[in-house]
Amino acid sequence: MSFFSQDDVLFILKLLDESEFDELQIESKDFKLIAKKKGGNLEVQKTGSPQLAPELPQKIIEDEITTPKFKETSFEVRKEGQISKPLIFDKDLVPIKAPMLGTFYRTPKPGAPPFVEIGSLVKEEDPVCVIEVMKCFNTVRAGVEGEIVQICAEHGQMVEFQQTLFLVKKIFDKKDSPKGSQA
Amino acid sequence: MRRISSLLVANRGEIAMRIIRACRELGIKVFIAASQADQESLPARLADRVICIGPSHPSQSYLKAETIVMAALGVGAEAIHPGYGFLAEQPDLPELCEQKGLIFVGPKAEQIRQMGDKILARKKAESLGIQVIPGSGLIHNLEEAIGEAEKLGYPVLLKAAAGGGGRGMKIIWRPEDLKILFPEASAEALAAFGDSRLYLERFIPKARHIEVQIIGDKHGNFIHLGERDCSLQRRYQKMLEEAPSYILTSELRKEVCNYALTFARHLKYENAGTVEFIFNPEEKKFYFLEMNTRIQVEHPVTEMITGIDLVKEQIRIASGQPLSFGQPEINFKGHSIECRINAESPSREFSPCPGRIDIWEPPLGDKIRVDTHCYQGYFVPPYYDSLLAKVITWGENRLKAISEMQKALANFLISGVETTIPFYQSLLQNPDYIKGNIYTRWIEDIFLKEFLKNV
Repeated sequence: MSFFSQDDVLFILKLLDESEFDELQIESKDFKLIAKKKGGNLEVQKTGSPQLAPELPQKIIEDEITTPKFKETSFEVRKEGQISKPLIFDKDLVPIKAPMLGTFYRTPKPGAPPFVEIGSLVKEEDPVCVIEVMKCFNTVRAGVEGEIVQICAEHGQMVEFQQTLFLVKKIFDKKDSPKGSQA
Repeated sequence: MRRISSLLVANRGEIAMRIIRACRELGIKVFIAASQADQESLPARLADRVICIGPSHPSQSYLKAETIVMAALGVGAEAIHPGYGFLAEQPDLPELCEQKGLIFVGPKAEQIRQMGDKILARKKAESLGIQVIPGSGLIHNLEEAIGEAEKLGYPVLLKAAAGGGGRGMKIIWRPEDLKILFPEASAEALAAFGDSRLYLERFIPKARHIEVQIIGDKHGNFIHLGERDCSLQRRYQKMLEEAPSYILTSELRKEVCNYALTFARHLKYENAGTVEFIFNPEEKKFYFLEMNTRIQVEHPVTEMITGIDLVKEQIRIASGQPLSFGQPEINFKGHSIECRINAESPSREFSPCPGRIDIWEPPLGDKIRVDTHCYQGYFVPPYYDSLLAKVITWGENRLKAISEMQKALANFLISGVETTIPFYQSLLQNPDYIKGNIYTRWIEDIFLKEFLKNV
């Protein structure tokens, strides 16, 4: 039985990223994973998902875990129709996750400007979105200080518990910065 | 009528598997609402899509009606099946479903509400000419309790008005017991059900638990699928269920099934339900106990002797279709038994044993059915009930069904977690059980004492 969860793939890619090797290939009955490093960035190829997500800055690779075609024999978790969860390799990037299932709204009310845009600087207590469960609006706060670099959920769509909503590039003090990412 | 093409399972474990199986057979796309702990569970993997509805604790996931309705709307499910437990008997869920245009696979909110209030349900039974165990109205204080108990005659049973499944019940043998147990029961009822109201009932010492499966559609058709005998209980929790009841004559069987049908007709009951009775073998009398407005854990024994798929029928009825059979088409054949295999230690007061299952080899055979969500390597989470599997066997008669069960359990290999299999193996060999000389407190009064001596 082959079984790669999203976490497994993430773990394998992390191993490659941190290793000295440039290429990795894993193959089993109904799953094939080829990952190559090019110029310091990771590139992933998998059977069944020919469209690779474009490379994003900050070394993010967004990729949907392949839905296997072997439903009867495989225990792969299906994520049909679900907004793909970004895989994060940059240690400076922190996800803001949904604290509950509900409808994701980027604005405090219809017509109002969004709480945040890409490039917005947020502090821990800053509201970033609201999640509505049956007319009950729950404000989600950043919980981290930094710059919004990606918005991972769609306005007005349902998000699941713990789904990543935003990616934030964390702001470090110069002395704490692991890679000197903060100018 | 509205054909259901997609359904959200708002439950977990073996019943989620059972509902998924029924949906597959009906060609329905199936989604499952899963807590964080259950995201990788077998039903979550088998469903066409899993939606994570919240943290592991049920109060933050499986008990949140609004979140579950949101999840159903979010993925475009047309119907919600609540299974048993969790939200199955909360009228809020069908009400929300109605507001949002979703189909609830179960009875109407009003029917759940009426039967959920145990005092109201008793009054309803009395008004229909069905006997109830002599009991009091609501009791507000200790003095009233002592007065009422005196009128009923000891022993009496102290019960929570909002209770169910035997939780919060206490046997009172003399007035002194009440002084201690009344405040205790009141506090427990408040903690467990958010409602401290209590009432008293006369206690029948050697009672049998007989229940009747009924099913009704939106077109005024009501039928019964015979009775089940669930007299083997521990702390009012059913441990082993059989169908049919082997102590009833055909006249008594007809009587009890008619009581249940009277109830269903009067309520204009829609979907599957169970009317429970206490049977006093000495008087040969049935007393209405309560009605459960959901599919029950023990429904497979009825399916085994009737050949009817109750869960499929539930879904059909919810979509507005008429029952696919009439009463004359229901034939009862043979005998069936169910054992609930729990991750519990029988020698340590049945305390739950969550953990990783190392070996999982369920028995196979043409007279054996195993309903389960477990597999080798599965981690039994500590947040939910400890049911691992239901083993159901069928035989041409009761003794053959028992013999099938003995063989099935001998061939059930589980390691990694302790289970109740040894308890059932011992029970199935007990001469009193085989002869049927049992009653609702027999396991606690007699059997367990012997069993624990030999452990």
